[in-house]
Amino acid sequence: MSKPTDLVQGTVDLLILKTIAIEPMHGWAIAQRIRQMSNEVLQVGQSALYPALHKLEQEGWIEAEWKTSESNRRAKYYSLTRAGRKALAKEATQWERLSAAISLIVRTA
Amino acid sequence: MRSLFRRTEVEQELDEELQYHLERQIDEGLAKGLPRDEARYAALRALGAITQNKEACRAMRGVSWIENTMQDLRYGARALRKNLAFTIAAVLALALGIGANTAMFSVAYGMLWRPLPYVDADRVAVVYMSYFPRDFRFGTMSVRDYLIWREDNRAFENPSLFRTLRMDIGGNIDAPEQVQGASVTAGFFSTLGVQPLIGRTFRVGEDKPGTGSRAVLSESIWRRRFGARPDALGQTILVNGVPSVIIGVMRDSFRFPRRETEVWTNLPLNPPPRYGPWFYRGVARLKPGVTLQQAQAEVNNIALRMMQRNPYYKRLTLPVLSLREALLGNSVKPALLVLTGAVGLVLLIAVVNVANLMLARATVRKREMALRLSLGAARARLVRQLLTESVLLAVMGGVTGLALAWGGVELIRAWNPGNLPLIDSVRLDWTALSFMILVSVSTGVLFGLAPAFESARTDLNSAIKEGGRTQAAGQTRGRTRATLVISEIAASLMLLVGAGLLLRSFMNLRAVTGGFSTPSRQILTMLISPGNAKYNDVPAGTAFYSEVLRRARNVPGVEMAALTDSLPPDRQGDADTFTVEGQSLALGEMNPVVSVITATSGLFQAFRIPLVKGRYFTEHDNQDSKPVAIVSEGFARRFFSNQNVLGRRIKHSGPGSGEQWMEIVGVVGNVKYLGPAVDTDPAYYMPFGQKYYTRMFLVVRSSGDAGRLAMLLRQEIQSIDPGVTLAQIGTMERALSLSVSQPRFDTMVLTLFAGIALLLAAVGIYGLISYSVAQRTHEIGVRMALGAAQADIVRMVVRQGALLAAIGIVLGLGGALALTHLLRTMLFGIDVRDPLTFAGAPLGMIVAVLLATLLPALRATRISPVVALRD
Repeated sequence: MSKPTDLVQGTVDLLILKTIAIEPMHGWAIAQRIRQMSNEVLQVGQSALYPALHKLEQEGWIEAEWKTSESNRRAKYYSLTRAGRKALAKEATQWERLSAAISLIVRTA
Repeated sequence: MRSLFRRTEVEQELDEELQYHLERQIDEGLAKGLPRDEARYAALRALGAITQNKEACRAMRGVSWIENTMQDLRYGARALRKNLAFTIAAVLALALGIGANTAMFSVAYGMLWRPLPYVDADRVAVVYMSYFPRDFRFGTMSVRDYLIWREDNRAFENPSLFRTLRMDIGGNIDAPEQVQGASVTAGFFSTLGVQPLIGRTFRVGEDKPGTGSRAVLSESIWRRRFGARPDALGQTILVNGVPSVIIGVMRDSFRFPRRETEVWTNLPLNPPPRYGPWFYRGVARLKPGVTLQQAQAEVNNIALRMMQRNPYYKRLTLPVLSLREALLGNSVKPALLVLTGAVGLVLLIAVVNVANLMLARATVRKREMALRLSLGAARARLVRQLLTESVLLAVMGGVTGLALAWGGVELIRAWNPGNLPLIDSVRLDWTALSFMILVSVSTGVLFGLAPAFESARTDLNSAIKEGGRTQAAGQTRGRTRATLVISEIAASLMLLVGAGLLLRSFMNLRAVTGGFSTPSRQILTMLISPGNAKYNDVPAGTAFYSEVLRRARNVPGVEMAALTDSLPPDRQGDADTFTVEGQSLALGEMNPVVSVITATSGLFQAFRIPLVKGRYFTEHDNQDSKPVAIVSEGFARRFFSNQNVLGRRIKHSGPGSGEQWMEIVGVVGNVKYLGPAVDTDPAYYMPFGQKYYTRMFLVVRSSGDAGRLAMLLRQEIQSIDPGVTLAQIGTMERALSLSVSQPRFDTMVLTLFAGIALLLAAVGIYGLISYSVAQRTHEIGVRMALGAAQADIVRMVVRQGALLAAIGIVLGLGGALALTHLLRTMLFGIDVRDPLTFAGAPLGMIVAVLLATLLPALRATRISPVVALRD
């Protein structure tokens, strides 16, 4: 069985990519949005969020820009790059296949 | 990438980002109604450990290999700084090794590979002629031979001809002077592919007879006599009395055929009435697609035809050499190869030394390595870091050595042993720098590899435990170090033997005077050229030289004065064959070519050349008396079997030469005219009163140092006629010294290398024995407590060193026996297996080793048994 963090890390990436696909946002907002959209089920903590954001930036899938936030303070806004969009599509498809397969096994027997 | 170059900025941003998140979290808390500090506390708790978070972010950003390397470098530099003694010792050893190699590389590269400043220089060849009995391997040809070659030539484009000669330059405001010059055919400059600095070079057809004399100057003489003014073009100067129009100036970088060649004039190709004189060499460019071997083959055929046309040419060859080979001469390459090999050996010894130092240090750093491994460092990372450290060390050594290399190269350029034109190609530039970096990095990896792997293999358990004194590991390491020291000793012994051989050979050379017994510092010589064309006429010239001798003899301090056209040890004036009266020679048969000297009567006395039989020349041997000659001892023995020499008659040059018969009136001792290392060839002398040349050497002997007389003599002689020029003024002492200038250089450099090697080997063994003594402190303490005398301790320590040295010496002798044959061409009067040298070098090594082991041995005796046992 792979390390739990691997699985979680991978899904956090996917969630982040999907969230900022709609519009660029800063880390705090991404966490909030994920909470909202999952009906409070998925709570991405800071310790998982920021490492993931930095990794995605390193990969070149997201890019960052410093802007003034709604609370009138400076914040780092992330947006998808072109490569990121492609990665998102790929990750999403993979997730679908994976979760479908798991569901298949779990639901039977 | 940003994370690499804007480290602080990126870190600040991360702080800011996390800070923002924290604040929003607090705001949320506040919005829920919590008091500020509680909200903050809750926020912090929710956020988790910030440091770890930051660490995780950093980790995610990834660390590139550049960052790793920079970290390694920083770490390595710190480690080196902490251990300053080691670092300095290693850097010095490496500086010596790498510096010497870089210098040697510059020389070798400049001489052997750097492209010459001519267009396609590797397509240019020089053509010589050699035939029996004029057996100089790379000898000269005559104009007639050149014309035959040119007619049949197909392999070369535009064969050209040249000769060197001394030229009296006069005719403008400055005083006349004598320079080295060359007379060349019209295609000479275009064959070599060089463009003039200003003006032009010779045009096609300017070597036809009847063309006026034209001159091309070198930059140096142009600056000297014309102040580098462009209006020098078109002016006329006198070259050996002939008015010549200056048509161009060549750059200083063009030095052909000799380094000192300053004037080139056009050679009028008058159809020669006969063969000879043989003053010339050919230079030509290979046609596209033709190789040197093919050209040589074609030229060999032409040589056959030449022999058919001239029965006196026997075993005729036309050797063809590439331009570079021609410029190098035949003694430089072997010497260069030997010295390059030697310096490589020195570097090897330095590397072994540093490797030894590193192994010693590795033992000390065992705990540090073990600690890092236990904290999770990857072994590969550790190895890489240690290698980075050793490469850093090597590069530091290399950069330090650069100063040494630069000094060495400048010295060699200034010295220019052998007076090679190629010396201009020797310089310390980017090629040398790249070489230095390459060598530094390679040596760094070389000596760092073993210790690095060793360290990374550290067994954690035993290392962290106190002392880490694993017997097995310690022993292998000790054996490795001992082996390294043995190899150092062996290698430096080989160099010692080589240097010893060269030293003895050089001393032999220096001992060669060349056949005269007057102390060389008592003889001063100079080349006189009357300068004025009127002195080409014999009576006027003879009168001139009589005046020269009269004035010279009047200078206070001058015991004897004489004139000659040849000087020992290597300034041969003329060489020719001869005919013996009564000897029957078949058509095409000739006596061997020997040295021919024209001299006044005082020459033999001035040099104190011994008289074996008969008499010397006198003043009465002149135009009005019977023609006479004197022969050398070797001549008498070889051609007359030493019987009935006096009274026999010989003739200068070949049977058909039209010269007069000369009666042999004396036999004198052998004198060398072809160089100190060459076997003395037979010679015959003709009196100056009966054979006139315009240019003669003046020889004066004094009772003390003859050099003091130079200035006065100059003044006296130059005042005879304003056109007189003097050149090559110097004592015989200086001439003898110059004649061995190249062997001197080779010997000194090899001795220097051997000395460095010996020093490094001594330091190596010193280090090993010191370390061994330190390791055995306990044991020594026990021995002393049990009653061992100081002498016993010393003996024990020295024996350890002596054993290593013995093995090293045996190996070194073996290596030397195998390799010294490479020195064969460089040795004079000594065998490549000279027993004295082979016995003496180990002796020297033993002394050095004894000294090196004595210090630690003495230190061992000062170990207090009480202290030692306590540990």
